[in-house]
Amino acid sequence: MESQSKNAVGAALEAAGVSRREFLGFCATLAAAYSLPGTAVDAIAAALEKAPRASVIWLSFQECTGCTESLTRSHSPTVEGLILEQVSLDYHHTLQAASGEAAEHAREEAMRAGSYLLVVDGSVPLGNPGFSTIAGVSNVDMLMETAKDAAAVIAVGTCAAYGGLPAALPNPTGAVSVSHLIKDKPVINVPGCPPIPVVITGVLAHFLTFGTLPELDHLGRPKVFYGESIHDRCYRRPFYDQGKFAETFDDEGARKGWCLYKLGCKGPVTYNACATTKWNDGVSFPIQSGHGCLGCSEPGFWDQGPFYKALSMPTASMQKAVGAAVGAGVAIGAAMAIRNKAAMTAAKAAHEPVRVEDLERKS
Amino acid sequence: MSASYERGINAFMEVIDAPVASFFSSCVHCGLCAESCLFYTETGDPQYAPIHKLEPLRRTWQQEYTLLGRLAKLAGLAKPVTDEELAAWSPLVYDSCSMCGRCSMVCPVGNDITMMIRKMREGMAAAGHAPEGLVTATARSITSGSPAGVKWVTVQAQIKRMQAQFGIEIPVNKEGADYLVLMSSWEILNYPEYLGAVGRIFAKAGATWTLADDAYEATNSGIQIGASDLARQLVGRIVAAAERLKVKCVISPECGHAYTAIRWEGPNLMGRAFGFEVKHILEVLDDLRRAGRLKLKGSIDKPLTYHDPCQISRRGGVHEQPRTLLNQIAPQFREMNDGGTMNWCCGGGGGVSANERAEALRTIAFKRKKAQIEELGVDTVVTACANCRVVIEEALEHYHMDIEMLGLTELVAEHLDEEGI
Repeated sequence: MESQSKNAVGAALEAAGVSRREFLGFCATLAAAYSLPGTAVDAIAAALEKAPRASVIWLSFQECTGCTESLTRSHSPTVEGLILEQVSLDYHHTLQAASGEAAEHAREEAMRAGSYLLVVDGSVPLGNPGFSTIAGVSNVDMLMETAKDAAAVIAVGTCAAYGGLPAALPNPTGAVSVSHLIKDKPVINVPGCPPIPVVITGVLAHFLTFGTLPELDHLGRPKVFYGESIHDRCYRRPFYDQGKFAETFDDEGARKGWCLYKLGCKGPVTYNACATTKWNDGVSFPIQSGHGCLGCSEPGFWDQGPFYKALSMPTASMQKAVGAAVGAGVAIGAAMAIRNKAAMTAAKAAHEPVRVEDLERKS
Repeated sequence: MSASYERGINAFMEVIDAPVASFFSSCVHCGLCAESCLFYTETGDPQYAPIHKLEPLRRTWQQEYTLLGRLAKLAGLAKPVTDEELAAWSPLVYDSCSMCGRCSMVCPVGNDITMMIRKMREGMAAAGHAPEGLVTATARSITSGSPAGVKWVTVQAQIKRMQAQFGIEIPVNKEGADYLVLMSSWEILNYPEYLGAVGRIFAKAGATWTLADDAYEATNSGIQIGASDLARQLVGRIVAAAERLKVKCVISPECGHAYTAIRWEGPNLMGRAFGFEVKHILEVLDDLRRAGRLKLKGSIDKPLTYHDPCQISRRGGVHEQPRTLLNQIAPQFREMNDGGTMNWCCGGGGGVSANERAEALRTIAFKRKKAQIEELGVDTVVTACANCRVVIEEALEHYHMDIEMLGLTELVAEHLDEEGI
């Protein structure tokens, strides 16, 4: 470790009092998450130790700062927290000490140095540039300018990944996601309201170790963390399979910790790592504390119907649609029945009694 | 008139009723019926999957009776059912299906595939795609009274023989008798002892019975070939005789499909309920036993098994009676694996045995029955269907197996308690 530059991640961690054992434990967790063999742990450790502190520019648009809170405040310093801290966070509205022109200057400096990672939280309003500006620059302009030379863009939080709350109907600001605007380079979506800290650091560690980004799914999410549904990894899943459900939040089933499906849990359609990594340093996650999953890391989660209605319930009034469908079905069915009856009657009328000599063809 | 493609398709249109439509639309393509069909299990050839044998009928249903099918047909997107296709399906519908009903039993959505095969044969026969053997047998049934061409004089000769052999009276055309006894061609030609057995049992039980000189043949080739018009004629002969002689009950002989023809299809073909009962001989024997009119004694001192004829056991529901009877006289009775309502067919039912074209396939299909018999280690197989008996005897010959076949009615007659009652 002595030989490494002071600016490397390893040295920074050492300086922060992270033991070698803790650091290797973190590397092993990452290796397991990425399904790498045991030998990869050393490779990750070596790469992380030597990796120069990556320059990161963090832009916050239409957001609530919850993502930043989640990453920096939710628990006492851990290896993943420190990794995040030890990246060279050259620009971050909330965390940077500088303000005004000095702050913007820092961003421009970082951009000039090149090869930086761009992290975005919050959605971008297209309805009117004045809805959200920073130092007089509209969000969309700042994003496009900063993203131009970024090595990769990480959209943190559901707002940046899919539009999130600002984009919920009727979407008054015309909010869009980062990937809606940036098409010429990889955008990694790390959705969640807020997302899990280890997912962010995991993506960063992957980038620092291999120089590449992890494999993404069809929604641009790292497969290692978003590959399986909450439901499939939920510790209450056996109750679902047995048909044991809590019917209200204070009934016998709820006290016994039965499945929350009927109380609106969106676990079956939500892909995230909450049930595995949990929150607050592995303490718990919503279902464990007795509340169904809201599906916060899925696109359009705010508009997916009531939080407390079971997934199998219709989200809107179906009366008109059902009425029309029934009417059309009855009409088509009746028409087919009349037509088929006629066809059958015609076939019966055309029946020629089969005699013995009719069993063979006469040429 | 002659058979034609148009008549065949028209017959398809006639037979596709609500049950058929719901069966086709509820098939989930699980393939379980294949595993239940001995023509598939013994050959491994997927074309013998039961539901596949109905493909032309299914496509006719789809194109003629469903909304999307009609639209596809109008748009020229549907593949029409061709005459060549019907010809190609003839071996599937006639040679590789004995209408044993096993597929209908296993279908998880309850589709009666066997009933659909029966219906599909209506169209195949009307289109002239029935196999030659069945056409000949049907023609002989209509013209001479029996598919094997057995005439009343032959029956008369056997009556004389049986009367002399067993010293019994065999009544003919006797009005007001309890039972009208029918026979199958095989019994008249190969196993006339059946007649002697019935005579002895009824004499002992004090039941009155009769034969009819214009309705002695119980089999019905019209049903096997799939020509309801002809089947109706054949059943009509029996109904007319039963009503003329005012019998209380018509007894279907030891023949599987004859029982189906008279008991289940009969009233539907005639379009009315009968004024008399129809029972299988085993039902009658068990009724007599229950009434205390049939007492048995002695026992057969060798291991034996019972082959359930499909139409009697599975399709007809007569599976307890033979076991009750056998348990009285055969202490070493051994149940076949899959015995009872899920028993495997001999391979020759449903007209297959009358169809020379199917002979090679039928011999392959018999491997299942062969294995069933061999694993029991018995030398005697009892059954209650003359057709099963002939088919099994021929196959045993082919495979050089030394197994004795017995009819259950004869076995019962041989164990009558002479002192009893």
